[in-house]
Amino acid sequence: MEILQPIVTLLFFPAGLFVMGNGLAYLWVDRKLVAQYQNRIGPRWFQPLADIVKLLSKEEIVPHGIDVRLFNGLPVLALACALTAALYVPLAGLPPAFSFPGDLIVTVYLLSVVTMGLALAGANTADRFSLIGAVRTLTQLFSYEAPFMLALLGPAVVAGSWQISTINTFAGQHWMIITQPIGFVVALIGLMGKLELPPFDAPEAETEIVKGALTEYSGRGLALFQLAKSVELVVGLTLIGSFYLGGIGNPIEFFAKTLGILLVLAGLQSLFARFRIEQTAKWWRYASLLLLAQWLVIALLGGKTL
Amino acid sequence: MPTLEKFIVPIGPQHPALKEPGHFEFTVDGETVTAATVRLGYVHRGIEKATEDRNWTQNLYLLERICGICSHTHALCYSLGVEALAEVTAPPRAQAIRSLVAELERVHSHLLWLGVAAHEGGFDTLFMYSWRDRETIMDVLEGLTGNRVNYSANVLGGVKFDLDDKQIDAIKRGVDYLEERTHHYYKVVTTDTTFIRRTRGVGALTTEQAEDIGVVGPMARASGIARDVRVDAPYAAYNMFPVNIVIETAGDLEARFVVRLKELYESYRLIRAIVDHLPPGDLTVRMPRKVKEGESISRVEAPRGECFYFIKSSGGEKPERVKVRTPSLCNFTSVLATAPGHQLADMPMILAGIDPCFSCNDR
Repeated sequence: MEILQPIVTLLFFPAGLFVMGNGLAYLWVDRKLVAQYQNRIGPRWFQPLADIVKLLSKEEIVPHGIDVRLFNGLPVLALACALTAALYVPLAGLPPAFSFPGDLIVTVYLLSVVTMGLALAGANTADRFSLIGAVRTLTQLFSYEAPFMLALLGPAVVAGSWQISTINTFAGQHWMIITQPIGFVVALIGLMGKLELPPFDAPEAETEIVKGALTEYSGRGLALFQLAKSVELVVGLTLIGSFYLGGIGNPIEFFAKTLGILLVLAGLQSLFARFRIEQTAKWWRYASLLLLAQWLVIALLGGKTL
Repeated sequence: MPTLEKFIVPIGPQHPALKEPGHFEFTVDGETVTAATVRLGYVHRGIEKATEDRNWTQNLYLLERICGICSHTHALCYSLGVEALAEVTAPPRAQAIRSLVAELERVHSHLLWLGVAAHEGGFDTLFMYSWRDRETIMDVLEGLTGNRVNYSANVLGGVKFDLDDKQIDAIKRGVDYLEERTHHYYKVVTTDTTFIRRTRGVGALTTEQAEDIGVVGPMARASGIARDVRVDAPYAAYNMFPVNIVIETAGDLEARFVVRLKELYESYRLIRAIVDHLPPGDLTVRMPRKVKEGESISRVEAPRGECFYFIKSSGGEKPERVKVRTPSLCNFTSVLATAPGHQLADMPMILAGIDPCFSCNDR
């Protein structure tokens, strides 16, 4: 029986199937909310799942002039990284399935690998939209990565730990959105940049470069990338919820806090016109500077007192 | 070893940014566009040639189908040309109704454009809202003519329908609602920071450039050229209901948004004036089956600019030649002139800024 528990954890609950289902459900919530904000009806609840099932059952067209192994491997790598990252966060309000000191860094890097996979997938093909999409994806990665990481490290420094579960427990007594509001905002917008949500969707702006890095993907590859992104959404929401909104200790807190953030995210998505890629890059310079200023304040006031 | 190969980004003939087929090639250096070319003609349907096999009345319905957005413009321009050849003048009430439908059409076209242009800039909320409000004017047009597009309001020598009080009420209510909404859109377009950063100074066309290229319609008026057929050579009822021309001088995308939105106010004013002061009288005059030999030129201010018809008759039941020149053709080259030096991300908006109508253009 000893062996059974890790298998269930990895494949079904709380990681594996649960987090994928959760991601698709949140994707639907996001789409529905944006639709409502835009005075549309929006998709039915099973639409994201139906999209994935449809894409998985379709023929995958492999373009000429590419490395086929990379083409097939990258979507799997991206999904695997997103799912692995999910193991270290308090999914569904339960303690993280795996935990060790320093897992915050690992999680953040695993999430970056998802984006790297996306960019590589674009750079791997000879398609011009994909190439531009790949360049933009990487530009955006470099722009948001530093501030996003700084925003997540803020609570870590205050809690005095690099372990997500420890920070989560510490956050249970401290609502860090009050003491580090800039960090919260930057983390939120960093997540939007990571997920390439509007208005930071220049890397996949359909009116310019079709689907950006994923233009050549159809069928299975596209489905896996989308699954990876929806898992990334859940992981990102959980991280922000647990760090800034007073920790996540039980399922009710989990759903209330993550959905609350998603509500704000959907609002932000429907408020703005798309940023050009160089505008995005400029934005993040200010975000980093603001965060560093906040860090300075934290350091001056002395970490744990906050 | 440095390569001299150019990196060309093709947009079209099939591309999510284009609702109709056209082909643009943008040579880019990183994200910056260095050169642009255009190729048109993907929706050529041979309509001009087809007119030569149909009689004068049939052609009215054929030509109306050149464009799904400014269909009334084409039918009106053709009717004016044929009426000039036949030496027939439509009665004043018919002329007023023609102008009314033309202005309603301008409102729906400009609102449609606002949505499309916002969508190209990644501002889908504005797109959804403006298209929702556009339904008001579509309903008004449907109540008036029975059709949402291809209204077939014209017949040779007049119009097909009259207005009753109920319809006038519906028009007024619709226009009141839209005027209120237009205030909101005007505010968004001129004050929203993210949107202004995508429009201000983008695709700027100086007055000299605009003169050289010969742009028409809102494009010309956004670059400081007072060019409007409704003012320069009034047709239909624009003598009775004069138009105040809207001019901006910046010539950039923001100016084009402002010009089109201010033209909406002007259209609302005209629509109200026309329904309040409809001249009494007949709707049609008798039109001969055969049209006298001769040539005529007629011009109408379409929502996109000057629409031009040349009609030649050899005295029979069918035209000898109908030549159509639509405003989009005059404006396409401005995209090529303004594109170099801009970001690739600006291209869809610059392209949408001229309100291109490929289907009109190719016929």
